[in-house]
Amino acid sequence: MLHKRLYQFVLVYFIGLAFLFTIKGVFNLSDYVIPSPPDIYNTARRVFMRYLFDVLNTLSVAIVGHILSIAMATVVGIIGRLSNWMGSLIRTAAFNIQAYPIVAVAPMIFILLGDGLSSRLLIAAMICYFPLLLSFIGILSEPITDIEHFYIHSGRMRWQLEVKIRAFENMNKLITVVAGSATLAMVGTIVSEFIGASAGIGYSIRIALYQSDLSKILVALFLIGIFTSLYLAVLEWLGNIVSRRWGELEVKGMS
Amino acid sequence: MIEYKNINYKYPGAQNPVLNNLSCSVGEPGFHALFGQSGVGKSTFARMIAGQLNGFAGEIEGREPIKVYYSYNLERLPGWSGVGEHIDKVTPEANKSRINEIVESFGLSACIGSGFSKLSLGQRNRVNLARYLLQDFDLLIMDESLANVDEATREQIIFKIKEMFPEKSFLYISHSVAEVSRFCSNILVLRSFIKRPQALTINGQDDVRGKQVVKKDLEETMLEIVNAS
Repeated sequence: MLHKRLYQFVLVYFIGLAFLFTIKGVFNLSDYVIPSPPDIYNTARRVFMRYLFDVLNTLSVAIVGHILSIAMATVVGIIGRLSNWMGSLIRTAAFNIQAYPIVAVAPMIFILLGDGLSSRLLIAAMICYFPLLLSFIGILSEPITDIEHFYIHSGRMRWQLEVKIRAFENMNKLITVVAGSATLAMVGTIVSEFIGASAGIGYSIRIALYQSDLSKILVALFLIGIFTSLYLAVLEWLGNIVSRRWGELEVKGMS
Repeated sequence: MIEYKNINYKYPGAQNPVLNNLSCSVGEPGFHALFGQSGVGKSTFARMIAGQLNGFAGEIEGREPIKVYYSYNLERLPGWSGVGEHIDKVTPEANKSRINEIVESFGLSACIGSGFSKLSLGQRNRVNLARYLLQDFDLLIMDESLANVDEATREQIIFKIKEMFPEKSFLYISHSVAEVSRFCSNILVLRSFIKRPQALTINGQDDVRGKQVVKKDLEETMLEIVNAS
């Protein structure tokens, strides 16, 4: 799984590079606009270690933001599944707020909270929170009538049991949604760093942009891709373990 | 006993009513049937009796003291729990002594350690019915609860239910004329909403273990049901 993800990314990355060099050749662009392969290689040797730590910094914020957004989406999703006024209010609010681009709100967060960790974390969490929330609400508000009927009519249904039944029956969907939102957490963190933070790979890309240094940006993109692929592969691996364990429970019928 | 008078019900958006001035009574102790062609409203009426359907017009008398349960053949147990563990967990303390008797007489001893998803359709339906029988009920509606169960086992189960719960009321929904004619005491035949009256009650043979049902009587009952529906 890991090697497949990495292989896919490296393939796409080098296709992208080849496309850039083709454009450079066709339009006879200078090394200032699109650097030559030796330039990129030299830049990579120079900035690799610094960018590596920047990407690790970004990834750690993305992971914490991702975990935060999963926790928030779970709690709010559990309340949002209700058919009363509170559930209805949360669902309506979630649908409306998610339509608003978080990136547009990001400068306000930087003004209020500064350019430190809290702003990066908040933006990363918000960017992957809403897609997660909508999926969680959708999954948790869908009744599993064939199972719930007995509990409802024998007076045994509790909200914890309802959530457990619905989560168990939709475990594969939940795992896919959580793994899929990891990319959004990484994107959110990089965007927040690019807009206003003073650390992380997004910040380094902003500096490279000011210097008009495409080599640095290409090195940063390479490292971002490698580590995002790694994170996704780890999540998929964890998801497979959970899914297998869940499946075994169902087969054995043991709690 | 619950008495229904002039019950009318139409599903939202439907052109015709399902129940049209339906009058009948259910809930008398014994093993009774609700019979009718597909689409005449058997499950709708059953859900109404169980209090799971609102928005109908008419009068209901004597409903309050009766505890009604509605079981149907597509129900499932939660995947994380084994059959035995689930049954033990959902059975009220006072009825736990009946678990073994029901499990054995329903032929479920071998399934008790398995997961529900590993069982055959017939076994699933028997497990589902068993957990309902272990509840404190006055009236149990069995909506095709013995579907996919072979005839001999079905017979054993119905006999056992009659022996174990003589004071309780059962409403058995089935499409088998022979089965309801033989085993049920009263057969409430539900008909299309255009027919008057919409429901007719026919006496069945109420077969119990050891009793010999006269073939001619059984055939007459079956004919009556077919003519009524």
